[in-house]
Amino acid sequence: MEAVNWLLINGANAVLWLWGLVKSLLVGIFSALDTVLNPVLSPVLALLNPICTTIGDAVYAVLDLLPVWLGLTILSALMGIVMLVAFRYVSNQAAIGRAKDDIKANLLALKLYKDELRVTFQAQGRLLWAVLRLQRYILTPVLVMLVPMLLCLTQMGIRHQWRPLHPGEQTLIRMRLAQDAGNPIQVQLEPNAGVVTEVGAVPGGGELVWRIRGGEPGRHTLRFNTAGQVIEKELVVGTDFQRVSAARVGPNWTGQLFHPAERRLPGSGPVRSIEIVYPGVDSWIYGANWWVLYFFVISMGAALLLKPLFRVRF
Amino acid sequence: MSEGNDGITRRKFIRVAGASGVSSALYLYGGCRGVATRPGKGGRSAANGKKVIIIGIDGMDPRLCEKLMAAGELGNFARMRDAGGYHRLGSSIPPQSPVAWANFITGAGPGVHGIFDFIHRNPERQCAPYYAAAETIPALDGWEVGEHKIPLAFWPFNHQPAETVLRREGTPFWDYLDEAGIPAWFYDIPSNYPPSPSRYGHVCCLSGLGVPDLLGSYGTYQHFSEKTIVDRNEAGGLRKPLVFRNNVAKAKLIGPDNIYLQKPTATTVEFIIYRHPSEPTARIEFQDQTVVLKEGEWSDWCKVDFELQMPPFLPNESVSGICRFYLQEVHPDLTLYVTPINIDPSDPGGQKITEPANFITRLSDKLGLFYTTGFQEDHKALANRIFTDEEFRQQADYVLKERLNLLDYALEHYDDGVLFFYFSSTDLQAHMFWWDSDEKHPVRSADDAKKYANVISDLYKKMDNTVGNIARQYGDEATILVLSDHGFCNFRRQFNLNTWLRDNGYLNPPNAKSLLDPRRGRLVDWSRTKAYGMGLNGLYLNLAGREREGIVRSGERDALLNEIREKLLAVRDPADGRPVIVQVDRADQAYSGPNVFKAPDLIVGYHRGYRASWATTLGDLSKEVLSDNDSAWSADHCMATSQLPGVIFSNRAILRQNPSLVDLAPTILQEFGVEPPGTMTGGSLFTSAVTAGAG
Ligand SMILES: [Zn+2]
Repeated sequence: MEAVNWLLINGANAVLWLWGLVKSLLVGIFSALDTVLNPVLSPVLALLNPICTTIGDAVYAVLDLLPVWLGLTILSALMGIVMLVAFRYVSNQAAIGRAKDDIKANLLALKLYKDELRVTFQAQGRLLWAVLRLQRYILTPVLVMLVPMLLCLTQMGIRHQWRPLHPGEQTLIRMRLAQDAGNPIQVQLEPNAGVVTEVGAVPGGGELVWRIRGGEPGRHTLRFNTAGQVIEKELVVGTDFQRVSAARVGPNWTGQLFHPAERRLPGSGPVRSIEIVYPGVDSWIYGANWWVLYFFVISMGAALLLKPLFRVRF
Repeated sequence: MSEGNDGITRRKFIRVAGASGVSSALYLYGGCRGVATRPGKGGRSAANGKKVIIIGIDGMDPRLCEKLMAAGELGNFARMRDAGGYHRLGSSIPPQSPVAWANFITGAGPGVHGIFDFIHRNPERQCAPYYAAAETIPALDGWEVGEHKIPLAFWPFNHQPAETVLRREGTPFWDYLDEAGIPAWFYDIPSNYPPSPSRYGHVCCLSGLGVPDLLGSYGTYQHFSEKTIVDRNEAGGLRKPLVFRNNVAKAKLIGPDNIYLQKPTATTVEFIIYRHPSEPTARIEFQDQTVVLKEGEWSDWCKVDFELQMPPFLPNESVSGICRFYLQEVHPDLTLYVTPINIDPSDPGGQKITEPANFITRLSDKLGLFYTTGFQEDHKALANRIFTDEEFRQQADYVLKERLNLLDYALEHYDDGVLFFYFSSTDLQAHMFWWDSDEKHPVRSADDAKKYANVISDLYKKMDNTVGNIARQYGDEATILVLSDHGFCNFRRQFNLNTWLRDNGYLNPPNAKSLLDPRRGRLVDWSRTKAYGMGLNGLYLNLAGREREGIVRSGERDALLNEIREKLLAVRDPADGRPVIVQVDRADQAYSGPNVFKAPDLIVGYHRGYRASWATTLGDLSKEVLSDNDSAWSADHCMATSQLPGVIFSNRAILRQNPSLVDLAPTILQEFGVEPPGTMTGGSLFTSAVTAGAG
């Protein structure tokens, strides 16, 4: 028993240590990649985001006529069909067809000649190759389609993930400061009908945090004064379904990707990001996090259902 | 495969319960039994629309009630009284809440239910004290691996996991209703933790008085302050120092013990406090959560996850608790009070505080987070001068607000059958605020004593209002019973029973300082000690063959008991010649039932104004037998049963003479046509037979 315990503990420790090593390696690779990618992707997103948001607003202006769940259902189904059609043109349909035929043929061969060892081996080899080919033919178009998909999803996210602050409801505003912002930094939140300040900014840990209460309903622009500079942040108060921008971020592409509705902050100023801790949308269909699942189920369902109609193979 | 471990992930399967004292390591989710329907709206029940609503108002005192009714301030209660629905209600011997509510629950005395005091003692370990109502049985064996010990409570190991068990015996009256298919709901019922199981699934119960916090105590606050120099562990809480650098301080919340360690140590959660350099505001950050507070503000309930480290090859377990932060002061010395870490009602893990187990999460779905400990009003924070009178009042007010929310839920989900609802405010606030004489208050000026005594009158008015609303809502449709378990009185002078026994030669040597604690000084010499005090009202003989080092032979017993009894009844306060003790009961005469052997030999009943001293309850002696009570806990009820009856109000005439707590259970059963069992000593309040049994 002692030996088993020793082995378990040290074995697990070794695995954990290795995993730690791999993790830090991956983190290193990603941050290096990020440093290289950011100067390219950040300006690109800064350009794309306003366009996407305008399109998103137009689409949702129509969907807003329907109940939220129905709007999300229709949008998801439509996107499933768009993906299907796009896939047909982006992918090599002929190659996919051949790979799928190969798979069928070799499965048949396995069944028919299951007593002949040589044929079986051959068929197994071919089957594997066909499957790999199929993966490749599907993966490439999926990767190509990933970029517009992500942009669409983030547009949906700023509507389904968070909801506007209710009038009277409490939350926090978090302002992350640049490392060289100076200490202490003075930031004034200008009076605004949309917000009642409960507790003024409490500094510390590279952040300023306000506790606020929702004021009058509407789409407000909060103005933060710091050393003569004014930084704006949108605040949405209301009880209806609306686009909500949880954060306004600086020039970093991951942040911009997930918070596309507001212009990025200048990279050189004292403020890195401003976040309003909006409550999540509370629904098992279109609420926070659930909407993603619902979207995938509906869009994939629609795509699978209409696959024969559009004569798409995958 | 044994049942329970197939197909269930380990994480779901093993849930960790609390802490040092009270914990159960492994817990199988039974799920709903699927038999019968739980009491609920819409469903048809065997109660056939019959309703009995019982409101338990702990410590509501008849004298104050009668005074306020006479002054026209309790209109709803007065209306019941005028219709014959009011009586003083005999309490238990002794009139302590756990004992009294157990009388209510079983319809029988302590000889049956086995709870004689808050604190019992184990004679096999001479006089080692323990809480009477629940006991934690430690895990028996386990897989010892490294520093850990993991109980494997499934086949083929079947290790005995740690487990908290209810020590209250006897059959609760709702078991008979359960069997008859009568739905019954209990909210915050005392003396029923862990909640007794419902065999037929007609009973829903939220345990009240007796439920521990995550640390396994009856409530341990954590107090962080720059004024505190060193860590201090005081009765009821922990004090910890804070050191700020550039207005940033780090501190640790203490959580439950990691019971998977061979030597269990407390889990902790680090938090950071950012103080505003000039404004009276601060920010607390922990586990991705941020709380921003102004001086004098309370936070909402916050969830805190305490991680229990496991051996490296197993995932760590975590226990969820909830607490509220109260920022007492920011400048110059930041001071932060944190409530006891309560069991999280939305994620109780292995802590079972409701029957069925998922009742608590159903409540939390509707009501959010709320206090789950038995003692919710933090009287210890007031007694230890962490709270001012006003701060305690505010905190207690909040507790009542939560309770009234729960009552709304209870009424909304009640169709027919029994609904029991319990209020603690009238007891715990009275302990701290009650004062009804011109004599000197232990800690307050005469004006303040009067001012805060009014808090209690206001509470009674709130209760009157609440009961009035229920009476209006149900009219004659429901039988309404409002009862208290005992009354209240000032606690002005404290009597050290052990010192008295020493001074009268029953406890030796003459310079003994303690029964148990050598740090206090000379310990008792058991070979020369005939009697000792333990708990609030208990006096035990050092009996040969029972106590480990007993010397009193059974032949001497009778004479000795009578002798001590006579002497106790003759005690007068040297300060003013008043009688101190008015009732001394012999267990063999006052009690009957299978548990009488656990009882103290004598139950000491004090006169109003007097109570057992703080020191004597856990076996410490003092210089003087009688001294002034110097605690903010300035009122009490652990005196003599005859001195502190409770109250019973009903919207129906009460015909029974001398009604007492044990009459409630038979009354409720008979309302539903269920014949009370022979173990119940009382009878229905609505018939005029006289009481046969005693408390
Ligand atoms: Zn009490």
